Amino acid sequence: MTDRRRINGPPSGTRPAVFAASLNSASNIATGRPQRQRQPNELRKIFLKTGLIPSASGSSYLEYEPSASLAAARSSPKCLIPPSSALKLACTVHGPKPLPRSATFSPNLVLTTHVKYAPFAARKRKGHIRDASERDLGVHLETALRGVIVAERWPKSGLDITITILEAEDDRWWGDAPDSHDAPWGIMNVLAGCITAASAAISDARIDCLDLIAGGVAAIVADESEDVEAKPKLMLDTDPAEHRVILSACVVAYMPARDEITEIWLKGDSSKALLGTDYKRSGHEALLDGAVDAARGAHSVLAEAVRESAVRFAGLAPGGGVMQ
Amino acid sequence: MAPAAAAAAQPAPPSLSLPPSQFARLQPHAYLLAHLSPPPSSNQPSIRANGRAPSQFRVTSANTGSLTHTNGSAVVRLGDTTAVCGVRAEILHTEDIASWSVSRPTPASSSPTGNKRRKLTDSTAKLSAESENKEEDGDDESQIQDFSLLVPNLSLSTGCAPGFIPGAPPSALAQSLSHQILTLLHSTRLVRAEDLRIWYQPPNLGPEELERHNENEQMDVDAPQGEVDLEKNKEIKAFWVLYIDIMIISLAGNPFDAAWAAVLAALRDTKLARAWWDVDNEMVVCSDAVSEARKLSLRGLPISSTFCVFEADAASGWRAVVIPDAEEEKELDDSTRKGIQRRWVLADPDGYEEGLSQERICVVVDKEQDGKGKTVIMKLEKNGGWAVDTKELKTLVDISAQRWEDLKQILEQC
Amino acid sequence: MVGPTASLTPLSRADGSASYQCPSTGSNILGSVNAPIELPGRRDALRPEDATVEVFVKPGTAPGGVGERYVEGIIKNMLTKLILGREKGYARRGVVITLAIVGGESVGRGDSYLTLLPALLHTALLALLSASVPLSMTFSATVLAVDASGKITREPSPKEAATATSLHVFAFSSNGHLLLSESQGPFEFKTWENVHQRALAICHGTLARSSDGDVAMAEDVDGQPLEGALREVVEDKIHLDYAWKIDAP
Repeated sequence: MTDRRRINGPPSGTRPAVFAASLNSASNIATGRPQRQRQPNELRKIFLKTGLIPSASGSSYLEYEPSASLAAARSSPKCLIPPSSALKLACTVHGPKPLPRSATFSPNLVLTTHVKYAPFAARKRKGHIRDASERDLGVHLETALRGVIVAERWPKSGLDITITILEAEDDRWWGDAPDSHDAPWGIMNVLAGCITAASAAISDARIDCLDLIAGGVAAIVADESEDVEAKPKLMLDTDPAEHRVILSACVVAYMPARDEITEIWLKGDSSKALLGTDYKRSGHEALLDGAVDAARGAHSVLAEAVRESAVRFAGLAPGGGVMQ
Repeated sequence: MAPAAAAAAQPAPPSLSLPPSQFARLQPHAYLLAHLSPPPSSNQPSIRANGRAPSQFRVTSANTGSLTHTNGSAVVRLGDTTAVCGVRAEILHTEDIASWSVSRPTPASSSPTGNKRRKLTDSTAKLSAESENKEEDGDDESQIQDFSLLVPNLSLSTGCAPGFIPGAPPSALAQSLSHQILTLLHSTRLVRAEDLRIWYQPPNLGPEELERHNENEQMDVDAPQGEVDLEKNKEIKAFWVLYIDIMIISLAGNPFDAAWAAVLAALRDTKLARAWWDVDNEMVVCSDAVSEARKLSLRGLPISSTFCVFEADAASGWRAVVIPDAEEEKELDDSTRKGIQRRWVLADPDGYEEGLSQERICVVVDKEQDGKGKTVIMKLEKNGGWAVDTKELKTLVDISAQRWEDLKQILEQC
Repeated sequence: MVGPTASLTPLSRADGSASYQCPSTGSNILGSVNAPIELPGRRDALRPEDATVEVFVKPGTAPGGVGERYVEGIIKNMLTKLILGREKGYARRGVVITLAIVGGESVGRGDSYLTLLPALLHTALLALLSASVPLSMTFSATVLAVDASGKITREPSPKEAATATSLHVFAFSSNGHLLLSESQGPFEFKTWENVHQRALAICHGTLARSSDGDVAMAEDVDGQPLEGALREVVEDKIHLDYAWKIDAP
């Protein structure tokens, strides 16, 4: 099957490079897993900037700080296999614009979300056509945002939110066998990033919102060696590559000013996970609270980025009064 | 144009005055024209609406190697146009190529497919004489084209501009840009086929090896003889295929220059792991040591510059009677030199200017011997009008050569 | 040198059509033009006072790909400037040009369309004339190959094109403007100027100025100028169509 609208590679297909190190797994791989250097409740730094894409009505660019192991690998490269990766994405908002004539009447703003990975975003090359997980992300993002936007202010209008992921989070450490974790955990971090970036872009486009919505991730991990005694721990803003077993993870879209959640996505089994004695609540409650805490952290970055956008807007339009 | 001129000339009542941003939207042509031809009394220089001189390019910046999962990557910003390019290398086993056993090149004689691309050999051999003399010759360069080893794709469905629907198949513009990049990669022969080959040297057995060993010792100086012997058993087991994906993150005019600069910067950044044929596993295996990986050795540094022509008369081209023929055109040109200028050639047009012009010129130039030699044109394209003829093209080639110097510095610093 | 052969209106259902063969490049193109027609997906916001020109190129053997989109863009860009889309009956309507590559070598992946481009342009022009679409001027085009020794080959065969150092396509209007120039492969500007001169001679004949300032078109090594050859095709067709009127006393 060739795609006539793109340039195709060799008809027989190609194979990703196989590294010798991953073939003889037993030997040197155990030492290679990146270790989490942050405290359990310490978040990664977020770089968030608005207004980089002038042709869009609103835009933002988000980047996570590389983990300690990745930063080390960058500064003194030894191994071609990156230990982990850090989220990088660009978000644009087009609209509000009139709906196409063929569309049915809508009294509210019609929100369209679109999330696409760049072909080079993940460890495995992504196709050009959206796959199930990308569509899934789009749906989650839409639910998260629909609760924030004051949609009835723009009847018969549409708003397109497009996110291009330039670099995604890993689902697991590359040295682990592909089926050692049951779920792709990286997608949850991606969703949290998408929510925060989209919120900044929507504010940059000056769409009325109830609050700035931020995404946050928390996970319960059973880590540190094969010690049976070790209790599973709650970690905020987990990088899946840094953990051997993630029991369950949760991403929320949270509005701090109203203390409301518009989207929860919880994966894995949190009921059986017995946290240490210092946790008084059951697994999933702790997980939710953790994710909310992470979202609060992202919110402070978000607020700063939006303030910057507002300053730029005020500076750009000195004759704003003339323009009505 | 008439109402615009009137608005500019007479002191209109305050209710009719428009801020510049609105004027630019309502009367784009008059707006740009007013900038380019200010009234002689005002003593203002002719300048574009975006503040640039006609032959001035936008501020360009490049940044490479920031994407983790790529073999090479680059972000190029050309004013407000941003292109991200990632190069991913994958492996194509020769046993997977249907035509491989037929077209298999024997090292002694050049393959039948090898002749096809010989065309460019002589000229580019001169072009980068020093770097190429160690290579036997580019007659197997056709493998890049025959086996589709370079796969560039450009995507505009990233929300980069309002007109492109995300998720839709590539627009005609995206397709034609992808094609232009592929054609330019082939015609400039930027990537060497040798860099993409993964060789396998079967272990030598018995007396033959001894013999060769002796030979080598005897003819220490005269190496080529020994090398030919060595080559006899060597076979290509696989090729690297470079997937070159370009995402235009932000589009504000001139996507081709930005995309090509991004491709060039990303290829310059590309590292390929050392790969060998593993007999036990019957597959190609790579080493993960950075020290063993090598960079691509590219041929030259072709750099593209795009221009557009802005006509003072918005109606030129459809009022059939007024089109002067080429001879008259030249005379007209000379006579009006001192007076009113009729058209401007604008370098590196932004989106606003692209919308107001039809004639496009794209020049891709390279300079021999790393900038010291003479300027070589790799591609010259002009269509959509008749304003630009030989004389103008010569000027544009000179501007492009100047641009080459600037961009070379930018690419080398990143 | 064997000149190109062409015929006007071989298709009866289209508003205008033409077929064109160039023996030296081996290209054989069949083109049709429908104009003015109502376009289904017409957008009012886009230049409401002008006609929309659409070009489709269909390769003979394989389904169309990115290369076709590219060459369509070139042809469209050039013809948009020549078609008088603001004439009565054309504004907001469409001019649809379909060019099918009937014979000759197909263009491979990532190959340039340069060898086929003049034939495509000529077919489009003849089909437009056959459909009586108003044009500001006519044009003629040619492709030239320069090999490593600097020898210029006019309208090279696919084999010659493959061994050439650089390929150049030129189109000149009937008024002598340079309408299109597409060149690829390493070359210097001086080479381009030489090729440009030669192309001008092929399309328009050598310009010979006699002492009294008369400008005459003379034939030379390149035989009849292309401009004239195309004109003759149209004249012949008109003569044939109006034979009843001319021959009638």
